[in-house]
Amino acid sequence: MTKCVISLQHDSQHRIDMRWLSHVLQADMSAKEALQQSLQIGKQKIAIGDVFSIEGKLNAENLQFDHSTSSCDYVGYQLPKSRRLTVNGHVGHYAGAELAGGELIIEADALNYTGCGMKAGVLTVNGNSGDYLGGAYTGQKKGMAGGTILVKGNSGDFTGDLMRKGLIMITGNIGHYCASRMIAGTITNLGTVGDNIGQNMRRGTLLLPELPKNMPAHFVNCGRHNLGYLTLLLHELHKYDSEFRSLHPMRRRVQRYLGDTSINGLGELLIWIG
Amino acid sequence: MRATRIIITAINYKWARHAAETMTGFATSVIGCRVEAGIERQLSNDETPDGRPGISVLLFSTDRKTLQTQLEARIGQCVLTCPTTAVFAGMHTEDRIALGKNLRYFGDGYQSSKYLSNERYWRIPVMDGEFICQETTGVQKAIGGGNLLVFARSISQVLLACEAAIDSMIALPNIILPFPGGGVRSGSKVGSKYPALSASTNHRYCPTLKGNPDSVLDKNIEAVMEIVIDGLTKEDVALAMKVGMEAICDLGKSQGIEKITGGNYGGKLGEHHFHLREIISD
Repeated sequence: MTKCVISLQHDSQHRIDMRWLSHVLQADMSAKEALQQSLQIGKQKIAIGDVFSIEGKLNAENLQFDHSTSSCDYVGYQLPKSRRLTVNGHVGHYAGAELAGGELIIEADALNYTGCGMKAGVLTVNGNSGDYLGGAYTGQKKGMAGGTILVKGNSGDFTGDLMRKGLIMITGNIGHYCASRMIAGTITNLGTVGDNIGQNMRRGTLLLPELPKNMPAHFVNCGRHNLGYLTLLLHELHKYDSEFRSLHPMRRRVQRYLGDTSINGLGELLIWIG
Repeated sequence: MRATRIIITAINYKWARHAAETMTGFATSVIGCRVEAGIERQLSNDETPDGRPGISVLLFSTDRKTLQTQLEARIGQCVLTCPTTAVFAGMHTEDRIALGKNLRYFGDGYQSSKYLSNERYWRIPVMDGEFICQETTGVQKAIGGGNLLVFARSISQVLLACEAAIDSMIALPNIILPFPGGGVRSGSKVGSKYPALSASTNHRYCPTLKGNPDSVLDKNIEAVMEIVIDGLTKEDVALAMKVGMEAICDLGKSQGIEKITGGNYGGKLGEHHFHLREIISD
């Protein structure tokens, strides 16, 4: 299997827009051509080769990005199907934005808007992620519209904001305003969740291990149920190497809440029982 | 013919079988029922998508559209209504037909979908919880109407032989025997003296008409029984025929079985011809 290693030669005090990688992949450029492309960093326009090095062919199935820092935004932007990008280091904002079927693995933390506008593929964050995980670009209405996000740490506020489809798995805790304005999809975690959960939630599923400390009044209790589709969901969760594999594959008993009733929402908040 | 397979699961085999038997009722022949359907086999918990006991059902029809119409109607009336059931695709071909795609509207806006592993599932609220159904199921070309004709000296002997054959054949995958218990006593021929009918009794095989010049029955034949086989491939049908013939032959001629043959209807029905001597000698 072929591999290509892209390295950040030195960090910048300015944001580094990594969308150039998507552009050179789409244009099917060679490494040499790619390094000659220009890149705007701060007020300066420089050659990509001044900041990055590329070893191997860019058409490789496996891409590796070394020495990444939290200055690097849009890492894995629009990564297409059959491409896998492993990032060694932290990433900045918008990691995996508009991911288009590829696999993005971030070995450390990610900042805000991770997986925003994502369409398909798998995004794994082995550290923590910031706010608006799987959300939409500011001012836009389309959040995550497909694929899977797995965060093996905690996620920030507004996780799954305006989410339309797909699955967000968080092994740790989720911040405030989780699933706000959610339209569809599934968010699940194994830790705690902050306040104001499911605000303006239209549809979709929140599957949590325990009730939030401040249960919102706009969710109504629909009782305890055995939901058959949870077996299918658990089968999906078990596909990923994470703590979710500790959940019994036939577990299906939950307490169900429906909301956000203030907007006649039909979203569901499910709490594992037993 | 076109065929599809679905998997019906339920809280236990009893309810899964109730649903499967109901939905495969009145599905013996495409001539009168538009679809031929039957239970393929029982599935263990680890063979079903939701880890519950299941039944695999095969449906055959002359064309894709009729198959879809019949499938949706039967799922809607016989599986959706049956307590604790869920229904999933049992065939994963590129060509798909609707399974729960239109059935979801029964949810009256309260239905919701989940998209997992590139498959969409619909959750329809019902009075025992939720009815889960996959959006589509695969469809493929298939073969209907493979048959064996068994000639015997008495009704009891032909029944004994056919029961032995049917018991062996129904254990095979990818086939169904759509008629009641797997046997057919009213074998038909193409056409009729009455223009409105496309099929009529195969008088050449009726023992009460043995004196008729058209009859193909010897004097000592008192009963003929047909076993009709629908299968996903020619090989599946041929294997079922072979297994069936072997089971009958194992009983021996002393059991009153005089002959096994197949109806070829002058080669007018279908493109596949099964030559029994070749099949049994393979």
